[in-house]
Parts: sequence; C-alpha cells; structure tokens
Amino acid sequence: MAEYSSNPARVFFSSAVLAKRALFSWLRPEMWIMMLFFSSLFQIAFFVYVATYVNNPSISVAYVAVGNAMQSIALASVFAVCNITGEEKQQGTLEPILVSPGNRFSIFVGRAMFQVLNGLATVTIALFYAAVLFNVDFSRTDFLSLGAVAVVTAFAMTAFGLMLSSLGLYLRTSMVIANIFLFIGLLLCGVNFPVSYLPSYLQPISYAIPMTYATEAAREAVSGSSVLSIGGLLLAELVVGIAAILVGYAMFLWFERMSKKRGTMDRY
Amino acid sequence: MSRLRAVATAFRQQALIFWADPQWLIPNIIAPFVITLVALMLFKNVDGPVVLYAVLGGGMMGMWGNTLYSSGWSIQSDRWWGTLESNLVTPTPLIWIIAGRAIWNAWIGILNGVLILVFAEVVFQAPISLNDPVLFFLAFFLTLLSLSALGLLFSSAFVLTRAASVLTNGLEFPIYIGTGTMFPIALLPFWMNPLSLSLGPTWGIDAIRYSALGTTQFTFVEGYWGDLAIMILLSFVYLAVAVVLFGWLDRKVRRDASMGRF
Amino acid sequence: MAGREAVIEVNDLVRVYKTSSGFVRKKRKETVAVDHISFSVEQGELFGLLGPNGAGKTTTIKMLTTLLLPTSGSIKVLGYDIVKDSIEVRKRIGLILGGEKGLYYRITARQNLKYFADLYGVPLSTRDKRIREVLDLVGLQDRADERVEDFSRGMKQRLHIAKGIVHDPELIFMDEPSIGLDPQAARDTRRMIKDFISAGKTIMLTTHYMYEADELCDRIGVITKGKIVALDTPEVLKRLVRDTSVIEVEVFGLTEKLIEDTRRLPGVQAVSATMAEDKQVMRVQVTDPAEMLGKVVAILQDRKVIGVKVKEPTLEDAYLWLVEGDVET
Repeated sequence: MAEYSSNPARVFFSSAVLAKRALFSWLRPEMWIMMLFFSSLFQIAFFVYVATYVNNPSISVAYVAVGNAMQSIALASVFAVCNITGEEKQQGTLEPILVSPGNRFSIFVGRAMFQVLNGLATVTIALFYAAVLFNVDFSRTDFLSLGAVAVVTAFAMTAFGLMLSSLGLYLRTSMVIANIFLFIGLLLCGVNFPVSYLPSYLQPISYAIPMTYATEAAREAVSGSSVLSIGGLLLAELVVGIAAILVGYAMFLWFERMSKKRGTMDRY
Repeated sequence: MSRLRAVATAFRQQALIFWADPQWLIPNIIAPFVITLVALMLFKNVDGPVVLYAVLGGGMMGMWGNTLYSSGWSIQSDRWWGTLESNLVTPTPLIWIIAGRAIWNAWIGILNGVLILVFAEVVFQAPISLNDPVLFFLAFFLTLLSLSALGLLFSSAFVLTRAASVLTNGLEFPIYIGTGTMFPIALLPFWMNPLSLSLGPTWGIDAIRYSALGTTQFTFVEGYWGDLAIMILLSFVYLAVAVVLFGWLDRKVRRDASMGRF
Repeated sequence: MAGREAVIEVNDLVRVYKTSSGFVRKKRKETVAVDHISFSVEQGELFGLLGPNGAGKTTTIKMLTTLLLPTSGSIKVLGYDIVKDSIEVRKRIGLILGGEKGLYYRITARQNLKYFADLYGVPLSTRDKRIREVLDLVGLQDRADERVEDFSRGMKQRLHIAKGIVHDPELIFMDEPSIGLDPQAARDTRRMIKDFISAGKTIMLTTHYMYEADELCDRIGVITKGKIVALDTPEVLKRLVRDTSVIEVEVFGLTEKLIEDTRRLPGVQAVSATMAEDKQVMRVQVTDPAEMLGKVVAILQDRKVIGVKVKEPTLEDAYLWLVEGDVET
C-alpha cells in the first residue's frame, strides 16, 4: 500500500488525480472530449425545437437555450461525481479509500475538484452553442456576471453531486439517483419554463436546488445585469451549495458506518 | 433450429437477469416521463390534442431509451462479469444471443412506453381515446420489431468499445430530436432529414400518431401503411448490416484480444 | 502410446500482443506472449502446461479454445483447424477458466447451466437430466437453485466445472483449476480431473503449481516467457536433476552478486534463489556436494548463514531451474 499522508492538501490533490484517472480508465480521453462538446448541444437543441414548435411568446428560444446551457453543468458535475463512486465500487477501489487513514473530507472534495473544472468547461461550450447555433443575443451580456454565475454554479452543483454520491456508498448504484436527479432538475429548476408554472407545492423544492438560482441569474447576466444586481441570487446559490456539502459529508460518514456494519461495500 | 433456440434462450436469460435487478429500468422511465412533463408545461397554451401528442412522444422516448440503454449496457455487463468469453466459446454465434436479448429489451421498452403513457394520463387526468386501437397496437408492435433490429445493430457497434456507456447516454437526445418524438422533423435542418428518415422508429411514431390521434395534421405524406412498409424495409436493412458487422467483429475481437479487458 | 490419435496439434504457434498507451504521445509496444511453440496431445492424455504467471499459458489456452487468433502457426483440435472450423471445435470442447468471473451471479446455478446447455445445443429431451447429473457430479445438487453470488469460491469453481462439461465434451481445457481454492477444494478438483480421465476424456490444463502437475499429468510442458523449455513426463523431468544434489543455504543478506559468484564456481550446475524480506534461500545444484559445500559457504562468509542442508532435488528444483533459464536440457 502506498504511503499515506495525513496532509489534507496532498490527499486532496491526489484524490483529484485519481478522479481524473478513474474517469479516463474506462473512458478514453477522446470520448471524454466528445462528451464535453456534444452532451449539451443535443439537449439544448431538443428543447429549442420544442419551444419553437410551441411558439409560446413568454418562453423564447433564448430562454430555453440559456436554461439548458446552464443545466449542462449538472450533467457534467453531478453525473460524473456519482459515477465515480459507482465505478470505484465496481473497480474495487472503494474499500481502500474508506479504510485509508487519509483525511476523509479531503478525499471527498478532492474527487470533485476535477469535476468542477469539467462543469465549467461544459457550460462555456454550451453557452457558445447558444450564441452561435441558436442565435441567442449576447450583445448586451455582462460577461463578468455570467462568469460569476458559471463558477458559483459549478461549485454548487458539484457539491450537490457529492451529496448524491454519498448515497452511492450505501445503495447498489448511484447512477439511478443521478439520473433521477438530473431529469427532475429539468422540470424544477426553471430550465425550460419559469418556476411559477409549477404547482405551488413543488416550488419550495425548486429553491432548494442551486440550479434554480443559476438559470435565473444567467438570464439576467445575458441581458446585461451586473454582478451586483444578481448578487442576491448568487449568494443564495452558494448557501444552498454549502448546505449540500455539509449534508453530503454527514451522509458520507453515516453511510460509511452503515456500510461497515452491513458489509454492503463490495456489492454492486 | 438451434439458432431459434439460441434466440429464445438469450431472451429468457435476459428476462431472468432483468428481474434480478429491475431497478435499472427506473432511469428509462424517469427521463422520458419528466421530459413529457416539461413538454406538457410548454404546450400549455397550444390547441389541439397536444396532451396525447406529448404523451405519445414520451412513450416513444421510453422505448428508444430502453433500446439504447440495453444495447449499450448488456454487453458491457458481460464484460464486467467476465461472461463474454463464456458466451464466445460456445458454438452459438454471438449475433443470435444478442438478437434474443434485443427482442427482450425492445419488449421491455414497449412496457416502458406504456407505463409512461399511463403515468402521464393519470397525472393529467386526460382519458386516452385512441382513434383506432387495432392499428395503434399494430404500429406499436411493428415498432418493437424495428427497435429490436436497431438494438442488434447498436450492440454490434458497442461491443468493442470501452465507451459503450458514453455512446448510450450520448445518443439519447440526438435520437429524440432526429426521430421527431416531440415535434415534427420538418423543423429540423434539411440535411438532417436523411438521418431521421433512415431510422425505422421515425416512421413508426408517425404511424402511431396517426392511429392514436386520427388526424393527418402531424403525419407524413406516406400515410399509415406507407410508414409501416418503410419501417419494415429499414428493419431488414438493419438486420443485414448487423449480420455483416457481427461477422467482422467476431474476427476482430479474436485478433485483438480486446474482449476481456473492457 | 503409438496408435492413439492426436487430439491437439500445435505447430510453431506465435502470438504477439500490440498495445498502445498514453494519450498525447502514443507508445506502441509489441509483446510476444507465445513464441514459436509446438506440441501435441493424444486422446485420453492429461497434459499440463506448467509455468509462472505471464509465461503464456492462458494465451495458449485461449488460442486452443478459439478465443484468440494466433499471429502465426497452426492449431488443430480434434482434427479441426481452430481458425477455419471454430464452430466445430467449440461444439466438442469444454473450457473451465479459473477465477471468479464467467458466471451470471444474479441468477441461480441451475439457470446458469440451462443457459449454457442451450447455447451448446444439448438436446432438449435430455437437457434437464444432464444438468442434474452434472450438478450431482460436482456436489452442488442441494444449492442448485440459489444465486451464484451467494456461493463460496470453491462452490463457484465447482459450478465452473459443471458448466464446462454440461455438453459432455471429449476434450476439456482447464486454466489454473486450483487457483484461489482452499486445500480441500483443490483436492476435490484434482479428484474430479482424474475421474474425467478415467471416463475417457482428454484434458489439457495449465498451472503454476508444480506438485499439481506432477501429481496429475501424464506429460508436462514447461513454459516460460512464451517458450516451451521442456516437454516430457514428470519422471523424465525429475531425471534432469538425478545424479545431482542440492546445497540449500538459508542466509540473511543474499545479493544478486553473491548468486552470480556462486554460479560461476566450477562444479556448480545451476543456482536458484528465493528472496523474502526476512531470509533468503539459495539452492545450488552440484554433482559433488562434499567438494562444493565449503566453497559455497566461503562465498557467503560475510553474511549471516542461518542454515545449510544437502538434499535430493525435487521436481520443484527442476522446474525452477528450467524456468529461470539456468539448466541446459
């Protein structure tokens, strides 16, 4: 067994590298690049066409395009983080991680660091598509604002993914969870239509998900709002994201204890 | 005779494995169901039988998703479990084994689609009134066969790559778009039409819509029977290509030893 | 021996693996896994391919069972060419791979056997009876309707065997049959192998346990780094080390240089060594132990010698020397 380090920073970075390698071990880099460039494209296209067909004046193509562009972060971050836990189980590396004395929090977060960058790259590409392929008008955009939204959202949604991946420690698969969550996000986060369209009992759930703030903030930024004016939204999103990390870490610890008790770690 | 037996055996095996872990179906129900709900939200102010239109689209997406997902994962699972070699060492050519699985997967896809229809109807409390139930079920059934053939084709493409799962997830939306599940393919750029029309289920969903909605408002000029004929023809093309691909792949796999590692 | 037909004929077999690694700068590497080997196996024989890990045993078995194409050379199994008539070959052979994989864990043993019996074309009228027979043979009749994931390692191995013979093949291939098994299970496996031979089957197995090869096999092919360095009955292989003795020295602080120095001593035929953390054992093959004992100990004078023994060589010694390339046959 390689020497372990009680230095959290070192564990953090080596977890990130492990995450990157894990992503690549079953996924050739060419494939990852393909995913990076194409996953958002088709999702945006789908909803743009539906919106075009529907021709609802309060839901423009731009509305849908920007919403889905932001949502692509969820795809990259959440999905990949959850997959890593599922994969680690499959490849049998999960046990060594749980058993190692490295700082667990660092491992937990280190894995996700790479995904944050992945999410940022994905959303940048998605917004580029929105501008170039779907004719969204970026002429009045405050790019600083938009950048801020992207960064905050990448962190917040990755935090959400970490929380979900804790479930993966306990269940057979976190992929089912990730799938459910991704698609619920499409419905609840103001991606394709305003949250106000939803029945009132669902709306509170929307506001517990960082993406809801992100879509609104992104649209504001695209139409020219400055960082200050969307500051409230960004702050709310950050708070939700941090809450997710804490909840996720608590679940991580709890599930780890439960897994040890029940010996479910190597079932998959 | 033994070929048919192999198909039946693989069908049975796939069913047993499915029932051991039926939760794998959940993603395939959730995704189209949620997309249908989103579409229905978007369709709120539109006239016409939009609820049924959207719900049928959702059902179709369910069937598609399941085909893709199962073709992508079933052989990958064999790789993970190490059972691919056990299958390859038998005298039954792999294509018959995969064919049996593809039929089961398409069958589950139909069930998947029906479940979505039922859920959506329950949620929106709109009764299903099919214009012509007999034609509807015929179209559904033939679409199942077309999906099986397509699943067989996809399996042969996925069996060698490490990235089967990326392709599986990655093709989901392009197919929803290309086959016009939730909007007419007329909206798509003209160069996409050959792609759309080369997919059997595009014609299938057209026939399904016609028999359910009873209007030609949403359908192709070929009409119901034209649609089915073209879909059947395309299915034979898929089978022919699959046969060629499987033969080529069998040789390649044995040459490159790429089946044991993912 | 004469008059029995060859069921396996391997001629100048070569298998080269090409791998590429790295993303930006692709490194291509060619590994010769099997390097011009030839041998044949007769009907009713129990033939063993003995060698260390990575020697090319599994690659050879995979080629013989049609799972891999040779890079060059020819293989005939039961008269059929494995490239041109692979389906005919597959109908008549059984393959039992060691290890955990190869079974569907989420379904029962019986369901697994039914599946493979069907793929092998076992007649429907006799299939279920045959499955019961095979389950009895391997001792799994009471657990047949439990999921394989609940089986122990030994039980999984037994099910592997059952799966490999469900279609009653005349030729059976086994890759590392006792690997990972506890002694009882390994003993049961060896007993089953002997029973198959008594029933007239031909078996080819691979192993890296020399005592297993010695106990079971009619003939052994010793393979290392893709080449067969010896091919004969266990008796003849042991004779390689007849008329010799082994000076076995347990020492602390053994180095490669000391081993080399010992090798170069006149009168020394071969040297092999086992290096563990706490102690090392050097085995020196000599014709005249009385003369050589002093010289060997002298070489180790700066080291802590824990014990010295003079013994008769075993098959293990012959194997180690063959594999480490120190013996000329």
